[in-house]
Amino acid sequence: MTRGTRRILSALLAAVVSLGILFPTAAPAARDVAGELRKERGRLLEMKEREEKTALELTEALRKEKLSKGRVGELQARLKRQRSLLSRIDRKVSVLNERLERAEKAVRELEAAHGQARTDLQRAEVVAFAGQRTGAGDPWYPSARERERHFMRLYLAADAEGVARITRARERKAEELSGLERQVAVTERKRTREKKVGDTLLSRQEEERRRLADIEREKKRKEKELKSLRAKIARMESVVSRVERQVKERERRARKGAAGGSAAREPAEAPRRFASLSGGLSAPLTGKIVTRFGRQHDTTFDVTIENRGVEIEAPSGASVKSVGQGEVAFAGAVSGFGNVLIVQHGGGLFSVYGRLETFLVKQGEAVKKGTVVGSLPGSPSGKSVLYLELRAGGTAIDPTSAIPLDR
Amino acid sequence: MSGQPSLWWIDWRLSRPPLVRETIGRFLFFCLLGFALLSLLLSGGVRRFLSDRYTITAVLRAEVPSAEAEGLARKVAALPPVRSAAYRDPEAAWKEFLRAYPGLDPLRGAGGNPLPGYIELRIRPDRLTGADVDLVVSALRSVPHVEQVLAGEEGLPRLLRAGRLASWVCWGIFGAFFAGFFLVGRLQERARAVALAGDFAFLAERGVPAGRLAFLRAAAAAVSGFLLAAAGTAAGGGALFLSLRKFPFLEGVIGSPSDLLLPRTAAAVALFSCGAALLSAAASLLGWRAARSGPE
Repeated sequence: MTRGTRRILSALLAAVVSLGILFPTAAPAARDVAGELRKERGRLLEMKEREEKTALELTEALRKEKLSKGRVGELQARLKRQRSLLSRIDRKVSVLNERLERAEKAVRELEAAHGQARTDLQRAEVVAFAGQRTGAGDPWYPSARERERHFMRLYLAADAEGVARITRARERKAEELSGLERQVAVTERKRTREKKVGDTLLSRQEEERRRLADIEREKKRKEKELKSLRAKIARMESVVSRVERQVKERERRARKGAAGGSAAREPAEAPRRFASLSGGLSAPLTGKIVTRFGRQHDTTFDVTIENRGVEIEAPSGASVKSVGQGEVAFAGAVSGFGNVLIVQHGGGLFSVYGRLETFLVKQGEAVKKGTVVGSLPGSPSGKSVLYLELRAGGTAIDPTSAIPLDR
Repeated sequence: MSGQPSLWWIDWRLSRPPLVRETIGRFLFFCLLGFALLSLLLSGGVRRFLSDRYTITAVLRAEVPSAEAEGLARKVAALPPVRSAAYRDPEAAWKEFLRAYPGLDPLRGAGGNPLPGYIELRIRPDRLTGADVDLVVSALRSVPHVEQVLAGEEGLPRLLRAGRLASWVCWGIFGAFFAGFFLVGRLQERARAVALAGDFAFLAERGVPAGRLAFLRAAAAAVSGFLLAAAGTAAGGGALFLSLRKFPFLEGVIGSPSDLLLPRTAAAVALFSCGAALLSAAASLLGWRAARSGPE
């Protein structure tokens, strides 16, 4: 709903409310009101259709939100599991790398030991061979030589066994190393695969979150719209029913007033009655009139609105003063007008101040002309609007006809 | 006394200077033979030499404690053919091994000693036979502590055969010298009988029977031969004793000097002396006979 539409509706509602709730007014032409009423009924029906549609859309948005939340939750759980799995894989890779380093070191050491042992064995074989050739030991003691040969065999066998042991250990370590390398490669592949899955899940989750955010925004928008529509519908229904009552009342009055014409003269006399107030009248604040009194045609929506007051644009937070001497008859909130203050000036004269931020006087309190009765609300644009309505004998009159206001 | 001159030592009275020379020569010869005889008796030919060189090695298992190994060595030493049994622990075995192969010392800096301990047995020289060696080896192999027995079994029969042969050669040489003594003695006796033929003819004309004369000459030769052999052997034994004391390494080949005083040695010397006496008598008789039968 656009800002202009809201303003028009507000003005319309304000008019209707002020008409229906606060002051019974003298009826304008009954035919115009009936036409407006028909229009409002048509608008009401249209709004109800929109409400139904919006409600359906909201339901759909809620369903989508639920589905999306479910998917996000599921994706979150899967992501959590995935992260846990990745963490386990990382730990495993770390452990495997440590074992790999140890195994590589052991293999290097065993290779060095193997090389040394082989060299020693070869040298021992050379020594043994030379001993056999030259006849090591005392040749006069053949038994001793036999024993030394036997011991040489033991020595060589021990050396060969040492070499074989180191070879076996080296082979075992190399096998272990190879196995570890395979494990590391497999784990790395698994890690890459799982990371890819995790990334996919993450991107899906992000996508789902974005979708959920869109849905939530849509839902909020719909809720707000629905709430606004329902409030408007409620107000409009109330207003329509009151207008209907008012129409009936006017018709009844019109029938009664046909006998005399005193009432028709009242609007022309009303400004003079305000001017005759003790102390005269003054402007409630300095500002520019942005909405005029009386029937106004809105070209955008092609509707005719009847304003019972004027709207004065003034700086935000500006003080609002009483236009004349009197007593506070009402200070409270009115739907569509915000905080409303009504000052009774006596003789059937009232001044109405709407869209106030605060009240500085209480109901029943006497005020003089120029007494600050409240203030306008703050606004980011730095401008606020005061609704001012003057009523004489139950009839709204143009405030500009009684008070000097900037046009 | 009948008034007739005694025929004992007739040669000594009739031909003293040549006989003195012969006696000195025979004494010296018996000194040498006695030395050789006693050496052969003590050494058993080359048996003692071989028994000193030949050993049986019982290689023990690596896990056998030293105390048990030493106990086993004592038990093995009690076997009849065994002269001595000595236990060498692994450390000693390793040092001996490195002495034989000094180049191996730096090669097992980290490997440690791979050798086990062992018991080294020596066989008595008189029991150094294949049967006795087999007996000891089989006894050792039945012991669970023994990993292996090194008895040089492949070369042992050859070694024993060579030992026997060497002993025979030694005894053969000795016998040849003894036989040479006999032959030389016979020639000397004949030469003397020829030289004294006139004197013996004179005695025969005076009624002295030739047989009695020959017998008495042979008896005197036997007595002198016995005495010379005994004295020469004693002198040779003394020289051997002194040699063994002076050169101890000879003990490994010949034997201990104390063995010279064993009864069996004395008996052998007595027997040798008797043999020398018999050969001397035989040489005298044969020389007499050869002289009587005319020039050869």
